[in-house]
Amino acid sequence: MKRRDFLKGTAVLANAAAFGGFGRGRQLTPTPAAASAPCPVTLLAMSGYGQDMEKEIAAVMSRDGLVLKGKKVLLKPNFVETHAERPINTNPSVIASVAHACLRLGAAEVAVGEASGHRRDPWFSVLNPKLRDVLDRKIRCLDMNHGDAVQTPNKGGLTGLPQFYLARPVAEADVLISLPKMKTHHWAGVTLCLKNLFGTLPGIYYGWPKNVLHFRGIERSILDLARTVKVHYNVIDGVVGMEGDGPIMGKARPVGVLILSPFSLAADATAARIMGFDPRKILYLIQAGRFLPGLRPGEVSLRGENPKRFATVFDCLDDFKGMRGGPFFS
Amino acid sequence: MTVPPETTAFIKRLASFALPGGGVPYYRGGGPSAEPTLLALLALSAPGSPAGGEAAKSLLAWVSGLQNGDGSLGLNPSHRDQGLWLTALAAVVFERCGLAGPRDRALTFLSSVCSVTVANTPGVRQDNGIVGWPWVSGTFGWVEPTAWSVIALSVCGRGGEARAAEGVRFLLDRQIPSGGWNYGNPGINDRELLPFWDTTGLALVALGGRTEAGRVRASLDFLETNQEKIASLCGLAWTVMGLETWGREAARLRQRLLGVMNAPPDDGLNAAYFAAGMLALSGRKVFAP
Repeated sequence: MKRRDFLKGTAVLANAAAFGGFGRGRQLTPTPAAASAPCPVTLLAMSGYGQDMEKEIAAVMSRDGLVLKGKKVLLKPNFVETHAERPINTNPSVIASVAHACLRLGAAEVAVGEASGHRRDPWFSVLNPKLRDVLDRKIRCLDMNHGDAVQTPNKGGLTGLPQFYLARPVAEADVLISLPKMKTHHWAGVTLCLKNLFGTLPGIYYGWPKNVLHFRGIERSILDLARTVKVHYNVIDGVVGMEGDGPIMGKARPVGVLILSPFSLAADATAARIMGFDPRKILYLIQAGRFLPGLRPGEVSLRGENPKRFATVFDCLDDFKGMRGGPFFS
Repeated sequence: MTVPPETTAFIKRLASFALPGGGVPYYRGGGPSAEPTLLALLALSAPGSPAGGEAAKSLLAWVSGLQNGDGSLGLNPSHRDQGLWLTALAAVVFERCGLAGPRDRALTFLSSVCSVTVANTPGVRQDNGIVGWPWVSGTFGWVEPTAWSVIALSVCGRGGEARAAEGVRFLLDRQIPSGGWNYGNPGINDRELLPFWDTTGLALVALGGRTEAGRVRASLDFLETNQEKIASLCGLAWTVMGLETWGREAARLRQRLLGVMNAPPDDGLNAAYFAAGMLALSGRKVFAP
């Protein structure tokens, strides 16, 4: 039995295999997104989680034109479950480096918020003492699963959901920074910046897991959220990624990189290439390329470390081996 | 079982979460929400606590106002069409407070809600044809809403109904073979998924008196064996309730729960979990028939 079959069979997911049919909602506008200038994507080497990257991250954010002075900033890491031997979640030291970089750049308020998809107990997410201990006391940690939401029109329409209930801190932030983990995903292929937006939706509205999104189609949901939620910056934790049966049951894959960009799709496409996948073979990234810039190599301006240093091939489930590509960055 | 001397302070603290306009938020600074209000109401309704009783009365009025015409409960006054999963907990509260009309409407709604079922897939350790309860209408069944619904039907004297029996079957089916529950997928192929403390405790409460001890022994052992690893308020509260439902010893866990409830500042304190902690420490079996 294939993983994809299981997921369909358990109704964890809807029929995303028939994605092109768009059984619900409207068709995507077939207008390729064109960036007026290449999207900057910066690679920073981070050899281990003991390294403080605050200054380096602040410098890149500043060069990318991210203005934080006086702003209310929300960092959205990826917390799903906790397992001592598996790198499932964005590492606290990466979160801390980014949060402190935001303070360095003059942010008035910085918060770290997550609506974890499997665990209700926020002790396993942003209210874990290990995260709190490495953050400046001025930085607040917000359990976005349990709290108020703002009804926001769905700007995508692929899922047929008329609106999303966005966690209030997401709706009220001046600047939203997505901080995903570099992982394979047993349904979508990879989970990076765009998939990370599932965690902007509170569990008290969507459940644990957010099964209504699965029923409407994971890829469609990713795309609707990408149209609806404005993300201002992205930092992917690729210091230790997850390969194989991600995003929970896979194995650690050290890569030693942070990927920074104001453009979610450019960051995701670059991360996918570093993982050995061709983003133009990953369904939701292809579709996102119709309205976001950064899918094609020519739309990306790589900065920082030479990507060859990090390029690898992540192990993956058989279903996704067809998504492999490259060699990239040659 | 000795009621801890801190109870009065806990009642005062929990009651202080109540908002002037009614209801209790999950966290200070938030808007009122049904779940923390319902759990707070139960925790504050301890016998012999006039202050708690007064606070509970006002919360009950607020919660009653959240009930929709079809018997379901809204998540909060702004989003009354969301949060159908809370109807089960509301039915328990209405039953405990002697509100027969709202209780019966809630139960009628609860009985009308069925999770979506799909065909089984070979190699998967779950029966996708068993009907449970979903978080959101029109989706699959999951452990927590099903556990709450089984509790509600049992507490309200309708535990003999077929839906309750199927809910029990659902929960037993979703039990991880080596012990515990997570959100509702015990394993994929030959790999077990990870169990959670809180969901395991809740499922054990729901199954109390409804199945043989042998059917849940692995889960009870799992909680007992791993109890030193449990650190969160939510995990400790539900582990205590789950173990004690089945007559297992939880004295050390109670001490740790007490410590956790005394420790945290209000920043980051979840009122729903604090209320669950109070219910666990009280030893009152509000979720048992």
